Amino acid sequence: MLLFFLVGNVIAQDTKQDTEIDSLVEAALLRKGFKPSKTQFMIRGYGHTGFTSTKSDTGHEKTKESTFDGGTFAPIFLFNHNDRLMFEAELEFTLSHGDLDVGFEYADVMYVLNDYMTVRAGKFLLPFGTFMERLHPSWINRFVSKPLGFGHGGMAPGSGVGVELRGAFYLGNTKWNYSTYLTNGPTINDGSDEPEEAGMLHFENLKDNNTSKAFGGRIGFFPFADSSTEIGYSFYNTNGTGEPGSEYEKTGAFLYALDFSFVKQISALSGLVDIKAQYNNSKVEDAFFTETHDDGDVEDYTFDNESNSFYVQLSYRPTMSGNDFVKNLEFVGRYSEYNTPEGAEWESQSSQYSFGLNYWLSWRSLIKLSYESAELEGGHGSHGAAKVKTFSLHWAIGF
Amino acid sequence: MKTFKIFGIAAIVIGTLATLTLTSCSVEQATAYKSRSGAQAWGENCIRCHSTPSPSSYNDVDWSTIELHMKVRANLTADESKKIFEFLRTAN
Ligand code: HEC
Repeated sequence: MLLFFLVGNVIAQDTKQDTEIDSLVEAALLRKGFKPSKTQFMIRGYGHTGFTSTKSDTGHEKTKESTFDGGTFAPIFLFNHNDRLMFEAELEFTLSHGDLDVGFEYADVMYVLNDYMTVRAGKFLLPFGTFMERLHPSWINRFVSKPLGFGHGGMAPGSGVGVELRGAFYLGNTKWNYSTYLTNGPTINDGSDEPEEAGMLHFENLKDNNTSKAFGGRIGFFPFADSSTEIGYSFYNTNGTGEPGSEYEKTGAFLYALDFSFVKQISALSGLVDIKAQYNNSKVEDAFFTETHDDGDVEDYTFDNESNSFYVQLSYRPTMSGNDFVKNLEFVGRYSEYNTPEGAEWESQSSQYSFGLNYWLSWRSLIKLSYESAELEGGHGSHGAAKVKTFSLHWAIGF
Repeated sequence: MKTFKIFGIAAIVIGTLATLTLTSCSVEQATAYKSRSGAQAWGENCIRCHSTPSPSSYNDVDWSTIELHMKVRANLTADESKKIFEFLRTAN
């Protein structure tokens, strides 16, 4: 009995003491307020998965393919050291043809020098036009595919390793932004290993093949104070693309792009209109390449090494509709084309029409239903024409 | 040639649109960028590339990280990003 009484007393005292400590801690915390840590580490990113069915017709051969796409997982790491210094990096894991591809998209450090200048160094997405830097993530891109001319086998540089200075400012009643960079230059394919790609530029140079760097930049201009419209001009120049000592060492290249963006809620149309367009042009200085014929004869040839590509995309979302379902729908159309040099082994002309109906589940997640019809002529040594129709249903999510 | 044709058509469409915007915004034009509120700048700018996150999407600390990321990636002016993210932190 006595034991029970004593134990009970001790427990009661303990509980009393605990409550007192709890309330003291609580009061102290209240006085202190919640203090977030000064540095912050965030993991963000995106992923997508879906189903694609393709029908292709080359004139003599018709093929049909359909597949569930294994999915892409692209984590983004942001380390905010303070309000001026940040590190950003993105990896991209993709399952394609049964293999896991790992892409090292970017990893750079940025420092805000003042109100008008920020410096970045590392591997960063290049502001060559706007598609690759601003619009390619699957939760931003309205289609599953990239416009022709971008990505693998495309002509537009996507990322570079080097340093960049960028910023934005007002000039009277207009707004401007700029970026200028120096990165590892592109490499020309001399055709020794892949004769079908002789004269093509490759941009992904983690280590430069020569001392000629690429110098480029973009200037963006907003003519109207509501920021609805932006017009941009970009350039990318290098004085040499070949290996040191090779005949292509001093073969230079000049690329430029024009981009346009118009995004505005228009009451008369009860919704949001979004127009994006970009034109890319690439000119590599003339050079001679070697072709080995089937009979073993070797011949030198040259061609006017100029490529261009273009896309325009129009989307409409009835954001002002009273119906919640309709509000989240989006209608989108895109036309794109890509022309590679006449006379090159990789000469091609392709064009593509894309139509899409998207449903937005949240601001960072959408379901894309799209139909694309492309006409491809030539490319990579083949000289036939092909018509390719693609239907896809994809789900993209940013996190 | 085909590209030039298409580019020409696009230029005409874009030109017409730009003129339309110009006329519809001439009143707005008088109000310079600097006099816009944070909420207004948020509504006009964050939609340019992707759908706009609402203020409640993130807490204050997360918004500060996103502030620096977007300020640099989207090339926002210092004045714009300051106003927009102050608005997002007070309205979340
Ligand atoms: C010029 C284009 C552009 C504009 C304008 C823009 N963003 Fe972004 N935003 C992006 C891109 C591109 C990403 C994806 C980053 C990536 O994948 O590397 C992104 C990502 C984000 C994310 C995800 C987290 C992160 O930091 O990656 C948030 C949140 C965000 N933006 C908020 C905003 C807000 C708020 C505004 C308005 C001030 C804004 N954005 C304006 C291009 C833009």
